[in-house]
Amino acid sequence: MMNGAPVDTHAPGHDVASSISRNGFTITTQKLPILKAGPIDEMHKKLGITPPEMIFGDNFARIEHAASGWNIDFNAFDALDRVDKTGDSMLKVSYSKEWQQNRQKQFEDIKEVVKPFDWSYSTDYKGSTAGPPFRPSEKPIPLALLKRPDPILFFDDVILYEDELADNGIAMLSCKIRVMPARLLLLTRFFMRLDDVVFRIRDTRVFVEFATGEVIREYTAREEKYEVVRKTLAGTKEDVLAIMRDPNRLAQYIPVVEQSLENAVLQ
Amino acid sequence: MSIGGSDLDKAISQLRACRPIPENQVRELCYKARELLIEEGNVVGVDAPVTICGDIHGQFHDLMELFRVGGDVPDTNYLFMGDFVDRGFYSLESFLLLLCLKVRHPDRITLIRGNHESRQITTVYGFYDECLRKYGSANVWRYCCEVFDYLALGALVTGAATSLPPTSAPLADNANPDSFPSDDSEIEVETLNAQGEIMYRYARNSDSQSSNPTSNPASSSPIAPTPSRTGAAGTGATSSANGSKSNDTGAVLCVHGGLSPLIDTIDKIRLLDRKQEVPHEGAMCDLLWSDPDEIDGWGLSPRGAGFLFGADIVKCFNHRNDLSLIARAHQLVMEGFKEMFDSTIVTVWSAPNYCYRCGNVAAILELGEDGSNAGFVRRSNGERGGGGGGWILGSNVDGNGNRRLSSVLGEGALGQRARDGPGRRYRVFEAAPQDSRGMPAKKPVADYFL
Repeated sequence: MMNGAPVDTHAPGHDVASSISRNGFTITTQKLPILKAGPIDEMHKKLGITPPEMIFGDNFARIEHAASGWNIDFNAFDALDRVDKTGDSMLKVSYSKEWQQNRQKQFEDIKEVVKPFDWSYSTDYKGSTAGPPFRPSEKPIPLALLKRPDPILFFDDVILYEDELADNGIAMLSCKIRVMPARLLLLTRFFMRLDDVVFRIRDTRVFVEFATGEVIREYTAREEKYEVVRKTLAGTKEDVLAIMRDPNRLAQYIPVVEQSLENAVLQ
Repeated sequence: MSIGGSDLDKAISQLRACRPIPENQVRELCYKARELLIEEGNVVGVDAPVTICGDIHGQFHDLMELFRVGGDVPDTNYLFMGDFVDRGFYSLESFLLLLCLKVRHPDRITLIRGNHESRQITTVYGFYDECLRKYGSANVWRYCCEVFDYLALGALVTGAATSLPPTSAPLADNANPDSFPSDDSEIEVETLNAQGEIMYRYARNSDSQSSNPTSNPASSSPIAPTPSRTGAAGTGATSSANGSKSNDTGAVLCVHGGLSPLIDTIDKIRLLDRKQEVPHEGAMCDLLWSDPDEIDGWGLSPRGAGFLFGADIVKCFNHRNDLSLIARAHQLVMEGFKEMFDSTIVTVWSAPNYCYRCGNVAAILELGEDGSNAGFVRRSNGERGGGGGGWILGSNVDGNGNRRLSSVLGEGALGQRARDGPGRRYRVFEAAPQDSRGMPAKKPVADYFL
């Protein structure tokens, strides 16, 4: 027992880890509650930046191929380690200017920005890998094969971290995975909406074709100013606020700013 | 129709069943509530005993669990520190129930404003959509927002006891009674689980060890030495600090967020014009938005708006205003509560399994009534009093016998006796067993995402 918190505070319905094996590939996910004060302090020290408000530090999604020693792992720590820790790419909330002007008049002496870093927790994390490396490739993920209604043998949706940006929007990194008889698709998505400022969607997709051992990793970053998206949506019949909370529906309104394709063939 | 007497009781029982009340009743209720709230000052005076609660965020079933754990209104006095709405699925039922209880038992329940009690924030974070969905129009949302503008900005609790009255509560299975202080000790901090069993107990000025000596201190102040043995995470208690000796308990200030550089006395809060939408800057904004942090003095949030304040700011403010503790909410803490800066400020969080997925526990803070004296004169006997200002604010002397905080507070402050913290009983609880209406599915539903 620590401080009153019951020992077992697993979120209801969350098994600790679940796993499936298919043609030499093992897929494992783990879902636990957010970290407690002690582990957060530790992570804070190791990362050098304040961790997000909701940090699912024990969660992960992993694909392993034992024969080749290859694996790819998605976890919060490694994702956060790629967040800019300098403050060079720091965003400002929409009303910052107004706020700063008033502050400067009244409190010239309070000017130190406490521990600057990219507090939007924007990350270009594509997973932590070991074993045979990915190589740049031109071959896209075969969408047609993924659109087939093959039975889904294993499915999970694992959140890695989330922050409400002090009620200025949302930043969220989560992982979805579905395993079908012949292939799997994993999508790790970073979604960030800074209200009245900007939208970011950064997707990492990992596709595995079990029979051939081929792995394709695709990274797609989308970004657009809030106002541009809002104006576009205002011209549709859609519920603007609802769409702004839903990256699945938003993606089509936000242009791609970066894309890469890689692959690896595992023996 | 009017919503007095039996109509009000009917509305309460309907809301307790998590069923919304008709729009005309909401209008009437909000009108009544405004009449009541307009009479309250910006800082409401509250007498102990009182149970202080943090964010609720529309988690109606967990609010019911809170009442089960803490006692029902009006048997227990409650002070809610804002953020009733948004995020959860039942903001409407949660807020209206609290408002009904306020109108029904105005002296038994105090509601103060959180940063989510705002038109702008509720439009983005769920309450507006919920009202629209449940009533088909934004009228109810508008009535509620008008009430938000009248909510007090803070509360000042006086008459809290310095130590907790002995309870005959049973021990929790995993408690370590050997670590508990002896029966005649004054209890400063006690943590109880949702079954009312004692999990942890800490005496003021005792030599008792923590029940978990290996645990990491959740919140040690940067100026405090790292103790080899620490109190329970979440509390500021450290065994090396020997607890704080009992003394006069100052008042407890409750605000949603924290302090403001524009506010150095509580009277300055009283002078604000609060009856408006939460502004983007200024003292009112700061009180609802700012956060304590492990820094010296004041700092700016890296987000480009908002203040952070350090231990020295809290200690000076408390000293100047004769406070022993600031209770605030606003930030998710996994253990339900988190004391900082030698127990001069505490964050209380009352939304368990926040957003139905965080798996955190929630807490409420009970302050007992000082039984021997009402009002401001505290009891005092030979055992107490701290010997003329040698000790400071909850943890006076470190393991080496060195006095702390002198560099922070300065000699002037050291020359005076600081206020002793009140006895604090935290009740920790988990999310209510859900009926699953509207809840996210426990198992994710497989979908053919691309």
